[in-house]
Amino acid sequence: MDSIVGKNSALTWAVNISVVVLVLLWTIPTFGLLVSSVRDKDQLVSSGWWTSFSSVERNLIKRSAPASEQSQTDDIYLLKGNVFGEEVGVITAFGWNSKAPTAFTPGDTVQMRKGKELQINADGSYLLTSPIPFTSKKGSRLFVTSVEAPIFTLDNYSEVLFAEGIGKSFLNTMTVTIPATIIPILIAAFAAYALAWMEFPGRAIMLAMVVGLLVVPLQMSLIPLLRLYTDVGIGKGYLGIWLAHTGFGLPLAIYLLRNYIAGLPREVIESARVDGANDFVIFVKIILPLSFPALASFAIFQFLWVWNDLLIATVFLGNNEEELVMTGRLREMLGSRGGNWEILTASAFVSIFVPLMVFFSLQKYLVRGLLSGSVKGG
Amino acid sequence: MKLTAYLTAATIALTANVAIAETDLKFTPGEDARFNWASYEALKSVDLKGETISVFGPWLGADKALLENVVAYFEKATGAVVKYSGSDSFEAQIVIDTEAGSAPNVAVFPQPGLAADLAKKGKLTPLAAGTADWVRENYAAGQSWVDLGTYKNAEGKEDLYGFFYKADVKSLVWYSPENFEDAGYEIPKSMEELITLSDKIVADGGTPWCIGLGSGGATGWVATDWVEDMMLRTQSPDVYDKWVKNQVKFDDPKVLAAIDAYGDFARNDKYVSGGAGTVATTDFRDSPKGLFSSPPKCYMHRQASFIPAFFPEGTVVGEDADFFYFPAYAAKDLGKPVLGGGTLFAITNESKGAHAFVEFLKTPIAHELWMAQEGFLTPHKGVNQDAYASESLKGMGEILLNATTFRFDASDLMPGAIGAGAFWTGMVDYSGGKSAKEVGAQIQKTWDTIK
Amino acid sequence: MEQMLLALFTVVVGVLGCIAYFVGSNFILDVIYPATGNKATQNIQRSTAIRPWLFMGPAIILLVVYLVYPVINSVWLSFHGPSGKEFVGIDNYVWLFGDAKFLESFFNNMMWLIVVPAASTFFGLIAATLTDRIRWGNIAKSLIFMPMAISFIGASIIWKFVYDYRGDSDDQIGILNALMVHFGAEPQAWIAMPFWNSFFLMVILIWIQTGFAMVILSAALRGIPEETIEAAILDGANPFQVFMKIKMPQMWGTVAVVWTTITILVLKVFDIVMAMTNGQWGSQVLANYMFDWMFRGHDFGRSATIALVIMVLVLPVMVWNVRNLKNEN
Repeated sequence: MDSIVGKNSALTWAVNISVVVLVLLWTIPTFGLLVSSVRDKDQLVSSGWWTSFSSVERNLIKRSAPASEQSQTDDIYLLKGNVFGEEVGVITAFGWNSKAPTAFTPGDTVQMRKGKELQINADGSYLLTSPIPFTSKKGSRLFVTSVEAPIFTLDNYSEVLFAEGIGKSFLNTMTVTIPATIIPILIAAFAAYALAWMEFPGRAIMLAMVVGLLVVPLQMSLIPLLRLYTDVGIGKGYLGIWLAHTGFGLPLAIYLLRNYIAGLPREVIESARVDGANDFVIFVKIILPLSFPALASFAIFQFLWVWNDLLIATVFLGNNEEELVMTGRLREMLGSRGGNWEILTASAFVSIFVPLMVFFSLQKYLVRGLLSGSVKGG
Repeated sequence: MKLTAYLTAATIALTANVAIAETDLKFTPGEDARFNWASYEALKSVDLKGETISVFGPWLGADKALLENVVAYFEKATGAVVKYSGSDSFEAQIVIDTEAGSAPNVAVFPQPGLAADLAKKGKLTPLAAGTADWVRENYAAGQSWVDLGTYKNAEGKEDLYGFFYKADVKSLVWYSPENFEDAGYEIPKSMEELITLSDKIVADGGTPWCIGLGSGGATGWVATDWVEDMMLRTQSPDVYDKWVKNQVKFDDPKVLAAIDAYGDFARNDKYVSGGAGTVATTDFRDSPKGLFSSPPKCYMHRQASFIPAFFPEGTVVGEDADFFYFPAYAAKDLGKPVLGGGTLFAITNESKGAHAFVEFLKTPIAHELWMAQEGFLTPHKGVNQDAYASESLKGMGEILLNATTFRFDASDLMPGAIGAGAFWTGMVDYSGGKSAKEVGAQIQKTWDTIK
Repeated sequence: MEQMLLALFTVVVGVLGCIAYFVGSNFILDVIYPATGNKATQNIQRSTAIRPWLFMGPAIILLVVYLVYPVINSVWLSFHGPSGKEFVGIDNYVWLFGDAKFLESFFNNMMWLIVVPAASTFFGLIAATLTDRIRWGNIAKSLIFMPMAISFIGASIIWKFVYDYRGDSDDQIGILNALMVHFGAEPQAWIAMPFWNSFFLMVILIWIQTGFAMVILSAALRGIPEETIEAAILDGANPFQVFMKIKMPQMWGTVAVVWTTITILVLKVFDIVMAMTNGQWGSQVLANYMFDWMFRGHDFGRSATIALVIMVLVLPVMVWNVRNLKNEN
């Protein structure tokens, strides 16, 4: 098809540009999160992520050395040091009072209260002098405006990735996700075929029921089901959560797969029937290979839903340390460190990494499976 | 080979878990004179070997670790195993679990209203006989704590279901002492002085307040605290109690006046950092950070005793930040009312261990162990006040003990549909410009439909 | 380690169990009614009548337990009081239609129902069509699909950096307000603007669901036999005509499926609303309102009633799908 479009280069350009615009619109929000997740946590909340590559001027509050470190020359008491400590920075303005934190330029010597004097230089070194001994145990506040180069760091990620128990949670999520993805697809594929190609009374009603059940709000099911589990003796555990994900995922799986299977060429199935194959044989030998793309795409969706689910996991698995899934662990981190955007941004990226990998690895089947299948079937 | 290694490691871990040495506990028993070790020793007479007690509550992260540090002593002394799990969707989860019959032994409720609802549905077990008398005797303002934990069950019979452990003081104003010093401001002693100070800050070119109502799914609760504090400062406690029970209606002029008293602060563009338009959307966790910026975005922040957890890293309470009591009007003779909150423990799945656990919470040591960590206040009169980890915690504890009037957070006592619903929505709407009258009528309308 | 083995074991057992059921039951059916011998015709008829139920058996059981039973339970609850014990007749329904917040949610939900499926399908169709024509199409697809992979928690954080609002004096960290300021306009509290905030929330769901629509539609596009397209091009049709006259007619079924799926998702949407506004500033939707009454109001009767309204709203979509099924035959 490329060659056909290629004849009309203006159209090719238009298509390319439209896709670029579309992709930009769709990725900018996520890109913002990605950039934010590797920024320094203070810079993250004080300036937009799109400015993260330029230096920023920030007003900081530093402290001088405590009174215990003062020295004495003649009748003057001295405190000196560097506001940046061990690090390096550039000061563009300073002050000694929160009312006027940027009043002076570096190098000036300014009068403070009670005869004290303060000098701060551009490199951050300061000198505090006083005719009477310093008394403050924590040191006086020094207000400086510094130009900060953009800071990028992976600390946010290491904090999330090496959090206690995260490995365990990862395993839990896997234990929940894999069966909860495969089982519903298998069950749904059979049901979808029956609804698409088999004749039986009540087919329309069954389909209507499936569509209707798509809309049942999950929250309504939680209490009756958990009560059922408790009565039957399943309780909280993996079996219960697999069945729950299977049950909740089934309507959509059946609906999507049925639509796809119903669209397969009638002749293929008819000719197999004429050859004497029964429906089971037709399904296994013809339908399953042909619907691989649909199965793969639904597998991706189901995987994503289960992976990102929090509600079902907390209800049917519990909140204990040993049972927490990834989403639960992230929620716990957020709960205890609310307002820490650096944790939020990094953990959001950690949680989408695996689903994206699954998508990328299954994506080629989406394309190839369909084309090769229809050629063979035709 | 590898598997055996794992198994051995697991076995070691298991046995190690059973035999926690006393020295592994946060404070070694017998060593620190601040603690009432006698009550710990007495606990050893309770034998709960083999008992597992599941505890479920809203605390996560740091708070969870603090609780577990306390619980370790109970486990050590009695041999029981306590499994605490926390969830930030506690309110939904406990409803599901109690309904479905998979409830934990003990649940930690942040709101008495929720516990009352569950008691009414017959999901809670009354506490052991005599607990009410014990609370009356040992807690400051004991009767009010008993009342807060007493609910009707399905048959309408009243019993004590909730035991309060861990309290908050909400009537606090946080500030930076050094910023006050730089600007020459004094701590106001009365509401009139507070308003004068606010005006003075505006006149000096500053902004007095940081207010943020944002809290994700709970946006608005900060404003309900403000209104409650204003109710206590403009009306008698009696009116407050009637308001909680809806005997004084939400559209009553007394309530509307309290809402407007809050509005005098939050809807005043000059008073609030960022302007009144930012109040409803600013996250409550972000808003106190304005106190510590350079130059300060605001000078004061009214919030409960837990807020230092959201101060910038390295902020030392008592040095970099401090608090004063949110004062009452000098012109009104209402004493020193204090608004507070607290968490209550209730038994949702009865067992011997569950009762023993609540019993443990009565011991002075259970309180002192958390006091010595952080973020814990208690009305327990029998504990050593010196156990508080810092002077500022002790100061808050004193506000709690010395309150002439102590009232519990009204929104936590109202039915959930109001206290965690219409009231929040109303306050968000009010902050967005609706009149108090409109908002009050809207909340009252919802209340009228509740059975 | 142990847990990985357990997981592996259960995956194998679960999947094999499923397979064993389908293979075994069909095998037994063939043994009981063999398609050979003197009763062959009768046997084939019988096995053809039974087989659909073998295929659908597990699905039906699961659907009944996990969805039908809760629905019946909800219907029953909707006639009962807060604790689900005392019968109150139609009180809950009467309350519902007099409740301002419900009417607001209903109105908002209707807007969501119109805007989100239409926009997602539209953008999904554009993305599917265009990306099929370019060399880096797969990369473009992956990027557009990416939001699907992000949990709602993640999404709400991402959009915080878009919609964030700070007072005039501060630097904006939300990109939308930064643009406003850049072009000299006043920054706005986007999610707190009554009426319009619903649209800002819808944008998030459209952003997520376009990837879904794109993947499904793109599969359908590729399923169109190339011979028909080539024939049309040889007849002199331009790409636009090929799209409208050849591709679209074959895609209607899939477009309908995508539209239905997203419509249903919209009816159930509450994560986004709960995380961003919790229904404040007039942005309430039915699913979140139901959630509120269930877990904050602790009134199971009322929340069940709202849930039933959500289910009733899907009826037209159901009828439409059944009619499509009849047309197929």
